[in-house]
Amino acid sequence: MGKLSKLPKIYLTVVFIILYAPIFYLIFYSFNSGGGMSDFESFSLEHYGAVFEDTRLLVILINTIVVALLSALVSTAIGVLGAVAILFMRNKAMRNAVLSLNNILIVSPDVIIGASFLILFTLIGVKLGFASVLISHIAFSIPIVVIMVLPKLQEMSPSLIDAALDLGATKRDVLTRVIIPFIKPGILAGFFLALTYSLDDFAVTFFVTGNGFSTLSVEIYSMARAGITLTINALSGLIFLVTVVLVIGYYMISRKTKSPLAGVRK
Amino acid sequence: MKDILRGTAVILIVSVILLIINAKLNEGGGSAGNNSITVYNWGEYIDPDLLKQFTEETGIKVVYETFDSNEGMMGKVEQGGTAYDISMPSEYMIEMMKEKDLLLPIDYSKVPNVKNIDPYFLDLPFDPNNEYSLPYFWGTVGIAYNPTLLEGQTFESWDDLWDPSLKQDVILVDSARETIGMGLNSLGFSLNSTDIDQLRQATDKLKTLSRNVKAVIGDEVTPLMINGEAAVSLTWSGQAADMMYENEDIDYIVPEEGSNLWFDNMVIPRTSTNIDGAHAFINFMLDAEVAAQNADYVGYSTPNLAALDFMDPEVTEDERFYPDEETRSHLEVYRNLGLEMLGVYNELFLEFKMDMK
Repeated sequence: MGKLSKLPKIYLTVVFIILYAPIFYLIFYSFNSGGGMSDFESFSLEHYGAVFEDTRLLVILINTIVVALLSALVSTAIGVLGAVAILFMRNKAMRNAVLSLNNILIVSPDVIIGASFLILFTLIGVKLGFASVLISHIAFSIPIVVIMVLPKLQEMSPSLIDAALDLGATKRDVLTRVIIPFIKPGILAGFFLALTYSLDDFAVTFFVTGNGFSTLSVEIYSMARAGITLTINALSGLIFLVTVVLVIGYYMISRKTKSPLAGVRK
Repeated sequence: MKDILRGTAVILIVSVILLIINAKLNEGGGSAGNNSITVYNWGEYIDPDLLKQFTEETGIKVVYETFDSNEGMMGKVEQGGTAYDISMPSEYMIEMMKEKDLLLPIDYSKVPNVKNIDPYFLDLPFDPNNEYSLPYFWGTVGIAYNPTLLEGQTFESWDDLWDPSLKQDVILVDSARETIGMGLNSLGFSLNSTDIDQLRQATDKLKTLSRNVKAVIGDEVTPLMINGEAAVSLTWSGQAADMMYENEDIDYIVPEEGSNLWFDNMVIPRTSTNIDGAHAFINFMLDAEVAAQNADYVGYSTPNLAALDFMDPEVTEDERFYPDEETRSHLEVYRNLGLEMLGVYNELFLEFKMDMK
């Protein structure tokens, strides 16, 4: 990145303050010994203790993470293959039709997706719970992954594949040794986007939870009527911390393995 | 490619480990047990210790789920993907669920603790003879205000909101029934009025309030009141209790002309697969000591007369939340007015909002 002049720097700083101030405000009050966010009494860790005592909340938190990880993983795998399939479609009309269908799923409201999943699951007799939530999260994440991966694929020069084939690579080799390494940044972006979509989706999840299985977003929305307690602040603080550690970890790993030809040779 | 596969393996292993931890944590819960009930309640609306106590006493496991709106709850019960054994809808929703045949009648031979409930809260128009529901918590609609921000203004009736000194001070709730209802009440009409002429008058009266209205919002009013950014608001009693807990300056009144009396009630949805367990749960929650503990935790008013003996007199003698006979006689429970009439209410409410500048 080149040197920034003064104005953009100030602008960036303001943007970051606006983005992060609410989070720090929230985390700050999670250490409040009082019960609310109005005035800070004294430092205390009791709300963090409460998170670990409330097994129901912990179970829900773990549910949320597992669903997010698994749904992001599966939807990335399906989404990447789908994007490759779209790229190699011979029939242009067909390709556009599939792409449009993909985009419709992205823009259609969550409420409608959720309600239709609920109807589908009860119709075919799938018990609401872990499976139904996982399936629906995979479903709404796939179009997102496709959208993230497709531009990378289109960026790739077709001669790369031709060269590989000329040098005796099988179709499988082309996919695993040429295409996937090239589009890796797109795959990672798609994975992380699917992960965050799954973590904070409320509308779809609300409809398909059941039989005691719930996720954090549904739980927090339900608490709104009685007022959200500082336990939620503490929980949010923990999640924020984990996210920061993950991002830093990812940054370190990607810096270590960076070499100019890394994308193609592995 | 290798690192992608490695990443996949790591994610799978982490997921499996987390699932194992979850299974360990969940021991005792879960729908796997033969004798369990699924309870569907509002968030933060029960003392979690009571669920454990119930399981210890009866051996029935509780699978607990929460919802955030009556409408969302009914949608899921109606669709029937989960076998809910207990739910806690508000009174108007019970009428709708009855119409749709979504509820099972209560077998009173299994609920002896019904004797603990104050008769005043039984046999109400939304469910005559309490055939399908028993009250869980109740409350009122009234005015919450912060005297330190107002110069000597006190509140006794709805008309006090029209006082010229309250310019831009009043916050209303973004809900047609409550706001139009306030207009109706201030004119001495019924909250369940279906008389177009009365509704018209109420709306016209509300329009004259608009110079005093600061905003028409939802639950966000609670922090505004607590932080002293708003002086007066139309509020539910439970919400007022929250405000008063955080900010001792705030006071709450039920206006003398009358107001709304609301209920959340325990019902057994038709999807129930453990009807005996559901009855046991209702009976347990109506036990005097249990109800008292629950009311202490949740902070709303309990309809359980016997429970009051186990509670802090400072709470139960607080007439703002346990109003006397006289105030109660002016309170009215919402009826389900039907879709068409609800449309009229919404239309008039919209007209009022558009008229505001």
